[in-house]
Amino acid sequence: MSYNVLIVDDSSSMRKIIWKILQLLGFELGECLEASNGQEALDILEGKWIDLILADVNMPVMDGVGFIRSLRERDICRDTPVAFITSEANEDRLHQLMDLGASGYIRKPFRPEEMKAFLRRIMGETDGPRIGTSVEGCDF
Amino acid sequence: MVLELEPVLKDVISEILETMFFAMVEFKDCGREDRCFDYESEIELQNHEGRIAISLQLSEEFTRMITAGFLGVEENQVKDEDLLDSMKELVNMIGGGYSARINDAAWKLGIPRFRKIGPDPTRRAQAAVRLVLSYLEEPVGSAVLSYLPG
Repeated sequence: MSYNVLIVDDSSSMRKIIWKILQLLGFELGECLEASNGQEALDILEGKWIDLILADVNMPVMDGVGFIRSLRERDICRDTPVAFITSEANEDRLHQLMDLGASGYIRKPFRPEEMKAFLRRIMGETDGPRIGTSVEGCDF
Repeated sequence: MVLELEPVLKDVISEILETMFFAMVEFKDCGREDRCFDYESEIELQNHEGRIAISLQLSEEFTRMITAGFLGVEENQVKDEDLLDSMKELVNMIGGGYSARINDAAWKLGIPRFRKIGPDPTRRAQAAVRLVLSYLEEPVGSAVLSYLPG
């Protein structure tokens, strides 16, 4: 099974790093798409089937909270796993993401092996993501 | 208050540079020195009590080196837009790390800004913390935490 992955981050450097780690993990990747904010991501999701979304929280135009809220209102994306990779430290905001159905989050800075472990956990769950299982926040 | 803020800011900057940019810096007492570097990125944090700004200035050479480490490429493969982007990402992480450590109120992070420093740089008179970063004994940048009006 190959995964179509969408990375949503206003930092092109972070998008490159996440791709690199995904490739190093050895997951069979299908289409790898990128967006620089939540609105761009929603536009992409209009026409693409995505198995996993990895998103930042603090972004211009539409932030991570607005993005996952909008996403969960769409029937087709209601159960798509969304994991956040963020500098956000505001616990209320992080809990808000989990309440809105995020699969988990990891805070920056992270060591490469921590990121790998986080993604393995999230990707491992995408075998059965459509059942909507959430995991705990992952704060290394 | 300043005595509490300074070690926090040092810890945060050190941890982020070491963990994600693979660079170990030291901090020097800069006294009244206000040397300018090549690039600046800045982020604002806001809570119900007020606003602060964290500004980071770095030399081009050091920015290129840490950007190469961050992206896992050779320095000659680093593009100008990568420098801009990694400096914004660095100050974004510093802002997030700082607010996590201070932890006395719910801080909201702003969107990081970047600029190339011209010959007449603006300075903040009310800097609460000013640190000089050095790498291999050479000054490579500075970090300033300021309280903002309003």
